[in-house]
Amino acid sequence: MRLGFILREAVKGLRQNVVMVVSVVLVTFVSLTFVGAAALLQLQINQMKGYWYDRMEVAVYLCDDTSAATNCAGKEVTEQQRNDIKSLLESEQLKPYIKEIAYESKDQAYKNFLDQYKNSSLVDQVKPDQLPESFRVALVDPEKYQVINEALSTVPGVESVVDQRELLEKVFQLVRVASGAAAIVAAVMIVCAVLLTGTTIQLSAMHRRLETTIMRLVGASKATIQLPFVIEGVIASLIGGVLATGTLWLLMKFLVEDKLASENVGVAFISTGEVWLIAPALLILGIVLATISSVVTLKRYLKV
Amino acid sequence: MIKFENVSMVYEPRQENAALDDVSIEINRGEFAFLVGESGSGKSTFLSLVLREKRSSAGAVYVAGQNLNRISSRRVPKLRRNIGFVFQDFRLLRERTVFDNVAFAMEVIGASRAQIRDRVPDALKLVGLEDKARRKPTELSGGEQQRVGIARAIVNKPAILLADEPTGNLDRKNSIEVMNVLDRINQNGTTVLMATHAHELVSEYRHRVIELNRGRIIRDEVEGQYTKMTTVINQDGSRALLFGDDSAPQERDSDATEAINDKKDED
Repeated sequence: MRLGFILREAVKGLRQNVVMVVSVVLVTFVSLTFVGAAALLQLQINQMKGYWYDRMEVAVYLCDDTSAATNCAGKEVTEQQRNDIKSLLESEQLKPYIKEIAYESKDQAYKNFLDQYKNSSLVDQVKPDQLPESFRVALVDPEKYQVINEALSTVPGVESVVDQRELLEKVFQLVRVASGAAAIVAAVMIVCAVLLTGTTIQLSAMHRRLETTIMRLVGASKATIQLPFVIEGVIASLIGGVLATGTLWLLMKFLVEDKLASENVGVAFISTGEVWLIAPALLILGIVLATISSVVTLKRYLKV
Repeated sequence: MIKFENVSMVYEPRQENAALDDVSIEINRGEFAFLVGESGSGKSTFLSLVLREKRSSAGAVYVAGQNLNRISSRRVPKLRRNIGFVFQDFRLLRERTVFDNVAFAMEVIGASRAQIRDRVPDALKLVGLEDKARRKPTELSGGEQQRVGIARAIVNKPAILLADEPTGNLDRKNSIEVMNVLDRINQNGTTVLMATHAHELVSEYRHRVIELNRGRIIRDEVEGQYTKMTTVINQDGSRALLFGDDSAPQERDSDATEAINDKKDED
């Protein structure tokens, strides 16, 4: 009975206050969308890290006759040099850092290249002997790339030591900046949402001062008097949260899954699944923010 | 039922409410008392202390045996369910019918539909509005609206009914209607305390009269009249109260004080 009463009063408040409620819905919607976007970008970084760090290796490229590096002196790597490099990689000194060593010949390099770029026109322009042979070194700790670099970069027969992770770091950096920017916008919007929710609840409370005065004097409990307003705020921001989730899902579906992911087969993208992962968090955040701002407002403006 | 023991209420300088200064009084179960005095004499402060809208700065306020300065704010709603309140300006919800206005007071404290269906018609009958249950307040006269307000105040069967200038917005005919309803409620055993400016009603209805002036009780008579005092403006612009009848002011004043002291001694 009383719960029914509280809900009816909340709905009445929403109806009386339509313009303000719509603005709360919209501001909450935008702020939670940015919160969600920041979170999704962060998930994307983790996804890529997880995917690439397993595959990422330090590539020790060996000289061929077209190499310009001083180590090579314009000559292809000799059998002797190749063996020296291999034994250096297997030495006691480097062993603790290395998980796995694999040799990739020119032919294998070409095959992998064909695999990776099979849809690209690049394939026609590259020939097997243009790709260098290399040792692929997987590290125990990918951050320890410098150790390998120092040990090998000056060894004769080594053209260059490339940390493939470094290439990715640039991409990560970009995504991180985007995620950070989204987080900043989200923070500002959340402040707006909290203030606007507070103002709306304040207006609603003033609007229904007559009801609340009567309720107070006939001995209605604090909860009965205040809950309708809190619920009003919570419902408005829940609608905002649902809209935000919907928007993120659509973005994910049409921008990432259908476009980015299908055009970049080799890259691991997050999917709509991740949206469902963060949706509860967004809704809970919306509820918590609305509750806090309405309770604080009511404490100041609604006598009980 | 209501007992004030040396109650003082001190306000910050800029607050509008009138202060109370060492007020001691007891209103017994089933009594009907008028609380009179000029605006700013402390009547509203008195009522809000009974409702525990405020706590006194000093002294103790007892309502139905509870010291209101000692009860937690959690228990305030429970206290108020035992006190009905009638407003000067009726405070009815316009969009609700008469029935729903009265039912509102039960709804918000969690009464069941069956209880509401059972008790609201009784309350309306008591104020003589059983045939207007489906009307909206705007279709009623002022006196009828106030009677709806009274029905709402008593529907939860409180032991005490407070009324703050209940006839303040009504003409004489409507005021008498309202007074008769309050009398009837009092006869059913409810303690009624009515703050008022209505001289004629106070003098006609002959109930106990408690008069406040600048936060002090200056008169407490079992069957009093509105006032025996008139305000005189002195030459320096200050105001003073003088009794309109023949008796000397000092004497009357001490009588009143004695009466109050007697009451205290009885406690």
